[in-house]
Amino acid sequence: MPKNSKGIEVAEILPDQCIGCQICVAECPVGAIELNEEGVAEIDPELCVGCGKCADVCPVGAVSFQKAKAKGKVGAKRKEKEKEKAEEAVSGYEGMAVFIELDGDKGGDVAWELVGKARELAEVRQTKVIGFLLGSDCREIAREAVAWGCDEVHLLEHPGLSQYFSASYGEALTQLVDRVRPEVLLMGATHQGRDLAGIVATRLNTGLTADCTELSIDEDSGLLLMTRPTFGGNIMATIYCENYRPQMSTVRPRVMQAGDRDPEREGAIREQEWEFTLQGLPRVVESVSEVSAEEVDISQYPVLVVAGKGACDEQSLPLLQELADLLGGAVACSRPVAESGILPYERQVGQTGKTVAPKLYIGVGVSGAIQHRVAIQGSEKIVAVNTDPEAAILQIADVGIIGDYARVIPEMIKQMRERMRS
Amino acid sequence: MHIVCLLKQVPDTAEVRIDPETNTLIRAGVESILNPYDMVAVEQAVRLREQHGGMVSAVTMGPPQAEAILRDALALGADQVYLLSDRAFAGADTLATSYTLFKAVQKLDGQQAVDLVLCGKQAIDGDTAQTGPGVATRMGCSQLTYCQEVDWVDPKARTIQIKRKLRDGFERLRAGLPALLTAELELATPRRCSLPSLIRSLQAEIPVWDADSMGADRELLGLKGSPTWVQAIFSPQPKEPGPQFQAGEDSSRAVSEALEALFRDEDFAEKLLKH
Ligand SMILES: Cc1cc2nc3c(=O)[nH]c(=O)nc-3n(C[C@H](O)[C@H](O)[C@H](O)COP(=O)(O)OP(=O)(O)OC[C@H]3O[C@@H](n4cnc5c(N)ncnc54)[C@H](O)[C@@H]3O)c2cc1C
Ligand SMILES: Cc1cc2nc3c(=O)[nH]c(=O)nc-3n(C[C@H](O)[C@H](O)[C@H](O)COP(=O)(O)OP(=O)(O)OC[C@H]3O[C@@H](n4cnc5c(N)ncnc54)[C@H](O)[C@@H]3O)c2cc1C
Ligand code: SF4
Repeated sequence: MPKNSKGIEVAEILPDQCIGCQICVAECPVGAIELNEEGVAEIDPELCVGCGKCADVCPVGAVSFQKAKAKGKVGAKRKEKEKEKAEEAVSGYEGMAVFIELDGDKGGDVAWELVGKARELAEVRQTKVIGFLLGSDCREIAREAVAWGCDEVHLLEHPGLSQYFSASYGEALTQLVDRVRPEVLLMGATHQGRDLAGIVATRLNTGLTADCTELSIDEDSGLLLMTRPTFGGNIMATIYCENYRPQMSTVRPRVMQAGDRDPEREGAIREQEWEFTLQGLPRVVESVSEVSAEEVDISQYPVLVVAGKGACDEQSLPLLQELADLLGGAVACSRPVAESGILPYERQVGQTGKTVAPKLYIGVGVSGAIQHRVAIQGSEKIVAVNTDPEAAILQIADVGIIGDYARVIPEMIKQMRERMRS
Repeated sequence: MHIVCLLKQVPDTAEVRIDPETNTLIRAGVESILNPYDMVAVEQAVRLREQHGGMVSAVTMGPPQAEAILRDALALGADQVYLLSDRAFAGADTLATSYTLFKAVQKLDGQQAVDLVLCGKQAIDGDTAQTGPGVATRMGCSQLTYCQEVDWVDPKARTIQIKRKLRDGFERLRAGLPALLTAELELATPRRCSLPSLIRSLQAEIPVWDADSMGADRELLGLKGSPTWVQAIFSPQPKEPGPQFQAGEDSSRAVSEALEALFRDEDFAEKLLKH
């Protein structure tokens, strides 16, 4: 342990582990830590009093300090005095709530996936599952929500909610949540969910974790642990919200599993009143759905044959289509293929395209860049066909075939057909 | 018109790598850049000023070296920039970040009434896309996320019309000013900086605002004002790669072995092949 000129054992930051989150900067009681030019924290040893706080709070263990203790323990970070205040703030909140996002005139798939997850969490916490449903004519969907697993659905029907606007939905959902007071509120990390969640969290003055791929309950504290990818999918962060309620999170579509739908399930549907006082909502001048009848939603298929830059010419595409048709799947693609206009943008898989979770993903001539990989990790099985044995996609493939697609794919079609016959 | 751009300095995530041995993030040597979405926002702001006159202000909340991106903003055509920097801001989540940025917008509004606030759709490091809606909510203004085009702004009638992306298409919305927009990459293509603006940007003094100069409540700032806590950060579990099969001139054997491996799990074979 290095000592400073006063003989105090000082903390040290390991620069290649620090991610520059600045948590230690904020926690250091004497202001001895700052970010340097490289965005990495640096301790001024002469200012350091050797309290070890930075080592306690660093989420990546980038601070080396001998007396380090209690690191990373959920809920260990707050002082006693603040604890009391916090306990008051979180009492009286109960139940796992889901915002039921609509998809046209039915409930969106992501809503049922979240209800499935909320059921699991509710079992652990021994509490109920609550649905929040906003719209103009959606009684049927409220019953659906019960069938998918809600114990109670709070339904707010109003002509002013027939169409989604940030302001009206933000106001309505804030009021509902404030009345019902769930301990957790989950929303889909969709266009609408992400637009809405930020409003509600700000209005309720609570924490919101974005784009989660994993949720669980911490055994000791009963808090919701929310895990999400950051830095473009390069690292995962587990986040919790101790002293504010509800604990809010948006969750990516297709990462959670819907439960079994049971039309006989019983649950309460509670109608809620709402004074619609908002003025000056935006006016929709034009609304265009670009998904025409013949376009495919790749996230809906059990099998995806994905064309990468190494397999997107006139010769390959018919082959890939044949394989997809055979397996009841669809052809999707990587970004360069969509960018060059060979396939429409709707077919793009990836960080800037769609997240998919088919039973079988077959990547043909796809190298497997990180921005592509993050969006296929929910696939049950991944097959990669590539000429390059070093291609990154092989790192996550269940089965890799090293070879030219022009030889491999026709053979695969032939053998799949034989297997299906037998 | 007074247009405010909110900018964030981010590590170039395309360059962030994981050390395969220790399974940790290698940050050292990775360049810090202006968030690409925010660069687009600055370009759009400058275009609107060119059409309607007025002023483009840009602010960022960050450590002292974040002033580099404010110089970028000046080079791209912003008129004035401010660095929001204070130890009290450190460790902010999006709730505390949006509060701090809101206080800055309020202060800028005192200089000259703010008509538009432009943000990026999301920052490429934190990736939450929550800051924009947070600021808009605090301002109580129109919130227009996922903007792909600004059709027009009418400062007299106090309205704006934009095209915004939806999950499966787009919509055109007409909304009142003030408004906050978050920019998709296709909103505008940033111009190449001219030499004079580049020189001006390098020579400019960058003024700094701290918590007190914005009249901010310290309880709501930084780590203190942040409900969310990061418990742990880790690299995604690398999956054990499955078997590989070499297909040469004759690929039938490789394919046959590969399918054998794939369908070893009978449930999976059943589900997939019988439909
Ligand atoms: C901010 C950002 C967002 C991005 N978002 C996305 C996204 O959403 N989706 C996405 O896909 N990418 C995205 N990218 C791009 C990504 O980084 C990669 O550039 C891209 O995924 C590469 O596509 P590819 O694998 O098809 O092409 P390449 O990387 O060029 O790979 C082609 C592969 O084909 C193989 N090959 C060549 N010939 C044959 C043959 N005859 N038979 C079999 N194999 C062959 C090669 O060995 C190679 O592995 C993004 C990038 C950035 C910076
Ligand atoms: C690993 C990790 C995970 C995190 N996860 C969460 C989380 O789930 N929830 C949460 O609330 N916080 C989270 N944070 C904190 C969050 O990253 C910071 O609050 C950050 O300041 C803003 O969030 P963002 O980077 O996601 O920006 P976004 O909300 O994605 O940024 C959108 C736009 O807001 C503007 N903007 C954002 N930050 C600034 C700034 N500092 N100055 C000026 N303009 C800005 C820019 O225009 C930007 O394009 C996390 C931090 C880390 C290190
Ligand atoms: S808490 Fe850890 S990761 Fe965050 S800035 Fe400090 S040393 Fe770096």
